[in-house]
Amino acid sequence: MSTVLILNLAWQISTLALVALGLAIVFGQLRIMNMAHGEFVMLGAYAPFITSSLGLSPWLQVPVCLITVGSIALLMERSIIRHLYGRMFDSLLATWGIAILMREGVELFFGRGYQSVSPPVSGTVSILGTDYPAYRIVVICIILLGFTALYWWSKTSKIANKIKAMVGNPDLAQAVGINTARLSSGAFVFGCCCAGIAGLLLAPTIRIEPMMGLDYLIRSFFALVVGGLGSLEGLAIGTGVIAGTQTVLGAIASQTYGYLSVLTLSILFLWLKPNGVRSSSR
Amino acid sequence: MASVLLPVSLLLGALLLIPELFGDFVAYQIGLYLIYGIAAQGLGFIWGKTGVLPLGQALFFGVAAYLAASTLKADLPLVLTLAISGLVLCAIGGFAFLLATLIFRGRSESGPYFSLITLALAMIAEQIAGTATSITGGFNGMSGFASLGHLDPFGSYYYVIVGMSVGVSLLLFILNKLPVHLLARAVLDNEPRLQLLGFPTHVIKGAAFAFSALLAALAGGLFASHQGIVTPTSTGFALSAELLILTAVGGRFHVLGPLLGAVIIGWLSAELRDSFPYWELLMAFVFITVVLKAPGGIAEVCEKVLARFMPSASASRQASAIAAPSRTVQAPAKLKFHDVELKIGVVRILNGVSFETPASGVVSIIGPNGAGKTSVLNTITGNLRLTSGRITFGEDVISSRPVYKALNRGIARKLQVPSVFASFSVSENLTIASLAGRVTLADLFRFSTVRWRSSAISKVLNHPKVPLNRLLNEPVAHLSQGHRQFLEYAMTVAAEPALLLLDEPCAGLSPDETALMTELIKQYQETAQRLVIVIEHDMSIVEAISDKVLVLHLGQVLAFDDYSSIRTNPEVQAVYAGGTK
Repeated sequence: MSTVLILNLAWQISTLALVALGLAIVFGQLRIMNMAHGEFVMLGAYAPFITSSLGLSPWLQVPVCLITVGSIALLMERSIIRHLYGRMFDSLLATWGIAILMREGVELFFGRGYQSVSPPVSGTVSILGTDYPAYRIVVICIILLGFTALYWWSKTSKIANKIKAMVGNPDLAQAVGINTARLSSGAFVFGCCCAGIAGLLLAPTIRIEPMMGLDYLIRSFFALVVGGLGSLEGLAIGTGVIAGTQTVLGAIASQTYGYLSVLTLSILFLWLKPNGVRSSSR
Repeated sequence: MASVLLPVSLLLGALLLIPELFGDFVAYQIGLYLIYGIAAQGLGFIWGKTGVLPLGQALFFGVAAYLAASTLKADLPLVLTLAISGLVLCAIGGFAFLLATLIFRGRSESGPYFSLITLALAMIAEQIAGTATSITGGFNGMSGFASLGHLDPFGSYYYVIVGMSVGVSLLLFILNKLPVHLLARAVLDNEPRLQLLGFPTHVIKGAAFAFSALLAALAGGLFASHQGIVTPTSTGFALSAELLILTAVGGRFHVLGPLLGAVIIGWLSAELRDSFPYWELLMAFVFITVVLKAPGGIAEVCEKVLARFMPSASASRQASAIAAPSRTVQAPAKLKFHDVELKIGVVRILNGVSFETPASGVVSIIGPNGAGKTSVLNTITGNLRLTSGRITFGEDVISSRPVYKALNRGIARKLQVPSVFASFSVSENLTIASLAGRVTLADLFRFSTVRWRSSAISKVLNHPKVPLNRLLNEPVAHLSQGHRQFLEYAMTVAAEPALLLLDEPCAGLSPDETALMTELIKQYQETAQRLVIVIEHDMSIVEAISDKVLVLHLGQVLAFDDYSSIRTNPEVQAVYAGGTK
């Protein structure tokens, strides 16, 4: 395996892991099947255009991304999602509508065509004899650091248990002093912001268009199918398998084959191992 | 039959008038909306009845359109073209059936997973259609073929579409009168109960999905001839999303709802899309509103308005028919637990349970809360898989098998919290139960099967004290807890199983009702020397009905004996008196 392939693998896995983390919180913990998750990736990717059209410094891209994605997610949670806890199928339908709304809205603002942005870190670095874009290396490192911090934090924090309690029995959770309204919107907004940040990080490396989100939704969903819900280890395995299969097969055959094999894999998992490789809940 | 023929002939009349009144071009446009309407009707069938929502119906639409286009390109004789179309439809239906049964086999609540997989399939199809230029013509599409039978798409082809559309509506109306329709709706209402009644629900869902795929494929085939060109957009995400909106807004619970939605939205969209830039946004808003506030869509609104002008005839009670003989095992057999262990996660629920019941009689299971009583029943029906050990009934090993197989092996079960089909009427509940263990595939497509009444149910209903006979047309949602207990009991004995499992059948019953329930249980057991296992807390009931009593404590058998010996057993007394055992 060439070095480039390995680096590509690391790039694909790390970015997918960030998107899937958001979905793991919203779908795995809050039990909301958010069909608009990919649209938050898309919104995040448009953040550079918002800053440039407002004439702001590129350094403000991150806060602008968080504010746009966060406020839309909060609005969505307070107005619609809040009524859908415990009704997963209805949440799927409602967020499907919201996803269409977000795509059409972005299309009205920015137009239908492809857009691209240049990376904030240009040039390449030489690793083991191959040149690789420096920006990607930086992003991989940032995501790796972020996940390490999250892993450490999740070992000490009680928030995961609180969320589990809230989803399992909202009334009882309230009775023992958990502010369920704040906790659920916090978790939902955090999940969506993961997707938004992932979109912002991906923006310089992809073509940006209103329909781009679906692909991320599906791949991160499949990562959860393979890895199982409820643990960071499962998330890592799932994204590794999905992004790995797609990257390797995409490199030796074609993107279509990569996609097909990912889908076949997911169907096999649903059939033979419906709870995924790792599952702490159930 | 009037309720079927009237709307269908009205539809046919209206559609035939369109070319006369508005000219051929409008008819051409309406033809396209009708084609989408057929696909949407398929989606409405599976979504409205079984609650399963495929998000990628354009996959079948597009694949069929491409295949139709390539067949038409070959310019074969009409008969051959139609034969090929038939084969294609069968293949697509078969594929859809396999896919859905495979996904739903693993577990019953895979709804969202199924939706996402169908969505992904449609997206892949679009990608392949766009990139495999040599086969599909890439983004330019596949064109250069004459329409079916060389009919004019702007003229006589419209009548082919009308014929198909009316035919499909007629078929759907007829399906609504058949028992398959009851089963499809029962999946949405209470899937675990349907499995306990011996129906493989994943197969029902698979069949419903295959049917919806078939209609989508039929629409796709019609589309190719109508448009004269097939592009990757016919098989992708956007069309799938569009079909979903048509179905939801039109009304998924009514046969004509999706068709109505397709024509209304299609027409409005053609009028407004160019002049009103926020059209797509508006549609998304309408969709969200419909999903959250008015799931019945336009069709439900129309129905309510119509009902105001035409008060519906009061539901007439049809005479019931005698159900086919039950095919479940009825020969008495011994139930035997061989060192059964059950662990869920780190929790040990059963720790080596072994016992053997007599082949007939009433066995009561007692024990403190958390002793594993209900889990014992769960392992017998297959709701829980064993960690180790095995369970035999007669000669057969019955442990760790799918739940739906239990009934055919002669095991029926009443759940702790009465589990019936809550959105159905009492008589519909009894009908579904009467099908259990008796119905064959062919019976499901006969009108008379809807009136089946199992003799075991009749026996319960005809008992002078059982309150259900007066309530047959009531929706189950209006029933009291006690009445539901009797309803579920009647449904459980419907197939006349050799082994009856009753989980707290007398919970929530008055003393009179309790006496009645125990009488029914005794009677059922004695008529054919069957085996009945009852979980019960009330010792007077246990004393009254039990031939043997099984005492469970901490997932183990503490004692298994007749009532008087259990009563004097010091260990049992210690457990119940809160001793230090």
